[in-house]
Amino acid sequence: MPSLIQQSFKASIQPGLVKLASSLVMGFTLLVSVAQAGIQVETWHTQKGTKVMYVAAPQLPMLDIDVTFDAGSARDGDKPGVAYMTTLLLGTQTKTLSEQALADKTDALGINLGGDVQRDTASFSLRTLTRSSILTPALALFSDTLTESVMSEEVFLREKARVLVGLKQKQVSPENLANEAFWAQLYANHPYAHPVQGTVDSVKNITLNDLNAFYKRYMVAQNATISIVGNVTKAQAQTIAEQLFAKGAIGQKPEPLAAPIKSKQAVQKNIEFDSSQTYFRYGQLGVERGHPDYYALFLGNHLLGGSGFGSLLMAEVREKRGLVYGISSGFAPMRYAGPWSVALSTKNQSAKEAQTVVENTLKGFMQDFDAQQFEAIKDNLVGGFPLRIDSNGKIIGYISMMGFYNLPLDYLEAFPNAMARLTKQDVLAAWQRQIDLNAMTTVMVGKPQ
Amino acid sequence: MNLSSSKWLTQTLLFTSVSLLSAHSMASMTQYQLDNGMQVIVKEDHRAPVVVQQVWYKVGSTYEPVGHTGQSHMLEHMMFKGTKTLKPGEFSKIVSQLGGQENAFTSANYTAYYQVVGTPHLETVMQLESDRMRNVVIDEAEFLKERDVVTEERRWRLEDKPSSKLNEQFNATAFMSSPARNPVIGWMNDIESYTADDLRQWYRQWYAPNNATLVVVGDVEPKAVLALAKKYYGGYQPETLPTLKPQKEIEQEGIRRIELKGATQVPSLQMGFHVPSLVTAEDKNEVYALSVLSSILSGGASSRLQVSLVRNQKLAAGVSASYSATDRLSTLFELSGAPVAGHSVSALEEALLAEVEKLKTQLVSQDELERVWAMDEAQHVYHQDSIQAQASIIGALVSVGLPANTYDDWIENLRKVTPQMVQAVAKKYLVRDNLTVATLYPDGKDHSNIKAYTGRL
Repeated sequence: MPSLIQQSFKASIQPGLVKLASSLVMGFTLLVSVAQAGIQVETWHTQKGTKVMYVAAPQLPMLDIDVTFDAGSARDGDKPGVAYMTTLLLGTQTKTLSEQALADKTDALGINLGGDVQRDTASFSLRTLTRSSILTPALALFSDTLTESVMSEEVFLREKARVLVGLKQKQVSPENLANEAFWAQLYANHPYAHPVQGTVDSVKNITLNDLNAFYKRYMVAQNATISIVGNVTKAQAQTIAEQLFAKGAIGQKPEPLAAPIKSKQAVQKNIEFDSSQTYFRYGQLGVERGHPDYYALFLGNHLLGGSGFGSLLMAEVREKRGLVYGISSGFAPMRYAGPWSVALSTKNQSAKEAQTVVENTLKGFMQDFDAQQFEAIKDNLVGGFPLRIDSNGKIIGYISMMGFYNLPLDYLEAFPNAMARLTKQDVLAAWQRQIDLNAMTTVMVGKPQ
Repeated sequence: MNLSSSKWLTQTLLFTSVSLLSAHSMASMTQYQLDNGMQVIVKEDHRAPVVVQQVWYKVGSTYEPVGHTGQSHMLEHMMFKGTKTLKPGEFSKIVSQLGGQENAFTSANYTAYYQVVGTPHLETVMQLESDRMRNVVIDEAEFLKERDVVTEERRWRLEDKPSSKLNEQFNATAFMSSPARNPVIGWMNDIESYTADDLRQWYRQWYAPNNATLVVVGDVEPKAVLALAKKYYGGYQPETLPTLKPQKEIEQEGIRRIELKGATQVPSLQMGFHVPSLVTAEDKNEVYALSVLSSILSGGASSRLQVSLVRNQKLAAGVSASYSATDRLSTLFELSGAPVAGHSVSALEEALLAEVEKLKTQLVSQDELERVWAMDEAQHVYHQDSIQAQASIIGALVSVGLPANTYDDWIENLRKVTPQMVQAVAKKYLVRDNLTVATLYPDGKDHSNIKAYTGRL
């Protein structure tokens, strides 16, 4: 593909965090805010019991659909990587189309099909033009990939070999090792502990039967949320939603998982690695989606390390001391308590100095912070609302999250109001309730000095 | 289903796709030039009360002399460190308080700054951006700290990522006399040797209104934007810009090959042939043909490399072709990939070259062409979902000297490509004497006390 913007280097990037948490959930966490000029979100259930979220966006002749299942890697059971492999294999073949025919048709229609697996969710997306000569076959094809996928032994073995190459490569990425060690330390025996893609050892043992069983059990109407944004009317959206699972099983929702247990003591894990930088992760369990403290925690984090330049961690570690290129902190609220974490990388010689600065910055922040800076960060969240919902791509991200986690329909509008109401005392109190400075998990990969 | 990589592909496609004027097309683009030579391009998009401002300077790593690689990027960092009237970091604080998002990026061809804000704040960010066009203050202490930040950036991007390092060294091997060999971030030793004066001089040379393009996309009226642009940018005098030497790449007369060893468990491969860009091509049709060829090899699930090397031969874990059609200087047509366990990287190289040979001996099919056109047409509509993508495409084109509406003609031009034209460019450019191959091999060291998996995959 020709590329217009190649090799761009930005003045600021926040490494690690997005990979550290699920990119999906974290994306929402960092972006969620506020509303006055809200968007109209509608919801209903299909006859088979699938929840639907819908926003009309008639301005461009295109349509986005997202289908999210409660079938993330937390549902892997004793086969880490099975959710990922199943999602990868879905849509390679269907009852009526070979792999080649499916690929040819997809490209001939110019549609984008995608899959994404996080700890809570496995999701599938379609982006298509709404011209009927394209829309009708595109929807039929998408529906088939969801409900009539066929996973062949040949494709399975091939894809498994490819996944294993990637996993093997991850074993020598210090950044990846840091992320995996952090999650493993934080979640111990909980299903959130293992990497979304599994490990070399676990994937090696996955069989095609595992995938078929996972598909049959979890990728069913009752366990799905459909989100629709684009140039279709509500009546059309209703038809689309009914037809997506017309040929699929109703199934049922899986049982809830146990909640993870918060560690009460500090843990530091150093992994020696021959790299020029030390990759540092620091944090603990935060809260789950919908937790009453979440707003205050989020607002405080925005000031501490969630808003790039101007946030306290960026100021202390990068701007004042030049120790890092990127540093950020964030909550990743999920179905159950997700992590709060700080991520940075710095040359080995300054690793311990950076750790001390991070710890002191957090400690200082939890005691008190500047009232003026606090007001400024509230302004950022309230004033920035229109930017969060200025494209169909962003809107569908929000509504599928809201649908999956059963957040109220006015969630986006409620957010700025909540931000505006929160006081400094509210934020400090929430942080003091939820974050225990004496129970931090620290991971360092490299040769920290 | 393609997983994360598909998202990456979509991102890439945002910047590669092109324009088909559909009935729904809301693109209404207006171009102006201020008296001082600054170009102003406004595209209306009234879907949300939001606007993006971008200012693009024609300077990047291909402008940099020996010993100064990465200087444009370092200057980009210093642009956030204060002006005659603003303290370091104050720019960002003001934009943040407005609820805006802002950043900057540097490439081989240009350096660009942007803010996304609610429409009422356009004037404020324009005032801020215009201030730093001429009034940046490069303080010695701030400079030294930021130079450390950039060395950390290089460590993070390059030093611990062997495949990125491979790309850097591949580029410096393929290009010998052309500054296209320069890494955008700069060689570490060059970074460590910058002085504040180097940057001050670089800033004076290139940050002038007659070397800049203002692109505004969003919920705005062109005339109102022009009035603001005149008010804030119009007062600056044009400067005499340095004349660039041609620095053309010498003709390659035989295959070049390098090896890199690094902290990798899996070998990988990057290959490239010298080809013209839309800027440098004598016959522009060759560029459209190469672009189609690139898509036929690696655009979408039905493309040849995917089908042949990944699915049928089960040889590659991943493979792709790419072509930077809109570089300022002559560029490369690239192929890259990594083998699956049980296959060697040399077998992958052979298989890739076999696909290239096929293009020379057999005409591509009409079906393949139709699929490329369909994908490009759809991507053009999709890219309009993002005001930033729209602005970035315009800015990137204008900054290399191409017309702002290059995209609007792109699809039409692709549609004129015939199987014979694809075959002709393959025969002319994708030849062995014009090829550079870079291979990354495991260094065999134990980098970690974590035990690596050693069993059969």
